[in-house]
Amino acid sequence: MSGQPLLEVRGLDKRFAGRSGRDTALWVIKDLSFSVPDGEFLTIIGPSGSGKTTLLNMIAQIDVANGGEVRFQSKSAPINDPKSLNPGLNCQIGYVTQEDNLLPWRTTLQNVLFPLEVQGRLDAEGRARADMLMRTVGLAGFEGHYPHELSGGMRKRASLIRTLVYDPPVILMDEPFGALDAQTRAQLQEDLLRLWNLGRKTIVFVTHDITEAIALGDRTLVLSRAPAKIVGDHPITIPRPRDIRGIMTHPDFAALYQRIREQVQ
Amino acid sequence: MTAQDTALDLSEASSIKWRRYGVIIGRVLLIGLLFVLWKLGADAVGPIYVADPIKVIQRIITDTQSGLLLKHIYATLRISTIGFAIGCAFGIALPFVLRLVPRITAAVEPYIMASVGIPKYALIPLFILYFGIDDAPKLWLVGLLVFYPIFIAVFAGIRNVDRRLINMARIVGASESRIAREVIWYSLTPFFFAALKISLPRAVSAAIIGEFLVGNEGIGYFIENSRQSFDTVGAFAGILVATALVLVLNSVLDKIDHRVNAWRPKERSMEI
Repeated sequence: MSGQPLLEVRGLDKRFAGRSGRDTALWVIKDLSFSVPDGEFLTIIGPSGSGKTTLLNMIAQIDVANGGEVRFQSKSAPINDPKSLNPGLNCQIGYVTQEDNLLPWRTTLQNVLFPLEVQGRLDAEGRARADMLMRTVGLAGFEGHYPHELSGGMRKRASLIRTLVYDPPVILMDEPFGALDAQTRAQLQEDLLRLWNLGRKTIVFVTHDITEAIALGDRTLVLSRAPAKIVGDHPITIPRPRDIRGIMTHPDFAALYQRIREQVQ
Repeated sequence: MTAQDTALDLSEASSIKWRRYGVIIGRVLLIGLLFVLWKLGADAVGPIYVADPIKVIQRIITDTQSGLLLKHIYATLRISTIGFAIGCAFGIALPFVLRLVPRITAAVEPYIMASVGIPKYALIPLFILYFGIDDAPKLWLVGLLVFYPIFIAVFAGIRNVDRRLINMARIVGASESRIAREVIWYSLTPFFFAALKISLPRAVSAAIIGEFLVGNEGIGYFIENSRQSFDTVGAFAGILVATALVLVLNSVLDKIDHRVNAWRPKERSMEI
């Protein structure tokens, strides 16, 4: 975790046009900067409406910025012009969105293999990897099921490993476990940490749940209400491997939680 | 699960089974009733206007054995399927092309939609004028009638594709042509098949109308020729055969639909 940051956000601006011409534009993000070193699990926390999803959309290059830049491996990515957007930056930035976005006409396994297929990398090794990931997250036996035949938690797992299967160096995650019940969520958080431990990807994980931010991250950034800027930067000192379900009982937890909560409005 | 639950389940299952049998029995009875009404109507009105159903069926059998009907069925089938394929091809391809040129689409869309309103059958005389009296005018008619529902369904379907799925595909590295095939095409298959079900009977009807006017083969020709020679039995036989043809084509389409769209969640309320 030293040297050049893998991913850098510099002076990022984003505004949404008002409803009618006369309304003033709404700045969602203004002059936002942060950087993520290689292999870091960064969690970003902010109130709803603070532009978290917009931020990830711009990093993933499916949305344009109104100013500033995103740098990946010290190279600037062009994100100010819709024509020059390069979604996923040649498969280097994976994105696990809030909705699972599984293709309903593909079976679970076909969905997981989709990225390899479209990248022309579907070989025995890729299949073995998909197999391993399916087993790791408990989807073995559901290869042939269609998404509508899976539970919400299983769909989430499928969408998670669909991104892991092609091994992008950076993975963005947008409240991936937001809509799940507490039990399933804890399970998935454990799965995620286990998977992360296998490869130590760089992860930018957005959430509005302080406990989740602490339990998963190496570091937590706190965003303010729109226009979003960073109001807190907290290294999470709780050592790994962590006990997700018992994270609240760790002696460092209460103080961290308190400090972050004061900044999240 | 307790024994009581099991018993309840069983009784529910058997009641569903009986309901299903009931529907089938009802259908058979309804067919019988229609047949009886037809027969009574024929006897009441007289054979010039309504043919006797028994004679109609006899006619279908003899004309099938002599090969006459098969020749006409083949001719109608040929015109409708070729025209159908042409209409489909353009109805599918055009929206995909328009998708690539959004500005041109915005410009031409109102005109395309206005052209939906042209009564296609009114164009038959022009088709005959332009394309002669062979297959061409019939194919134009069938093709146009099939084109519109397909075009509108695919066009609307492309617009309704979930943006998030397209974004996902882009992020994982899918090319635009891959997205068209893997995401957009599958998203619109339900719309597409709904349109196919509208177009297929239209294709056969259009072919038959074409045959009324042009040429000397096909079920349309058979019906019109029978009428001109005061052969009401023949006309009714032709109508019955045309109906059967549409039903057979529809059931083939249903089979394909079930295979292609097997991924869709089944609506329980749709199953009796």
